Amino acid sequence: MSAHDLVVDALVIAGVTGELLCCLGLVVARDVFDRLHFAMASTTLPPFLIAAAVIVEEDWTQPGINALLIAAVLFLVNPMVAHATARAARARRFGQVEATDAERRR
Amino acid sequence: MDVWLWGATALLVGIAPCGWIAIRASRADALVALELAGTVATLALVLLSEGFNRASYMTVPVALAFLSLVGSLLIARFLGRHL
Repeated sequence: MSAHDLVVDALVIAGVTGELLCCLGLVVARDVFDRLHFAMASTTLPPFLIAAAVIVEEDWTQPGINALLIAAVLFLVNPMVAHATARAARARRFGQVEATDAERRR
Repeated sequence: MDVWLWGATALLVGIAPCGWIAIRASRADALVALELAGTVATLALVLLSEGFNRASYMTVPVALAFLSLVGSLLIARFLGRHL
């Protein structure tokens, strides 16, 4: 096995392990906001590790650039999704998005 | 099977806990599980594309990355108001 293969294997295994840890975190988290934390963590480092593996394997060809585009889209757009989801979850739980009276007194 | 296909298989297994949360937990939790499942499925398709050595398959995860985000945003919008 060459150094090239070792690097690709290590990057893929690291990326997949990161995603699976986020899936595990989704199950063990207690409420929706904790779960949101794990769901958004899955769009940070693991997609870039997998994109790096594709680029090492394919160089800067169409698959490599597409994999990097996917990682960038997930990384840049998911904060908006997290914000919208957290607002919706808070509106459902408290009936409003703004701070409640009890929260203001704290 | 090489590391790409093993990785894709592992990621597809990772969708199962998301489905379990989507079925058992509240609607807001189900939306979060759907978002994570979309990310995991997108990366699984990337790995499958590399595993089968078909560059043209890479357009599918690109489309899924955009569509799953737009879908999640729409559901989140309706979740806060109507669902």
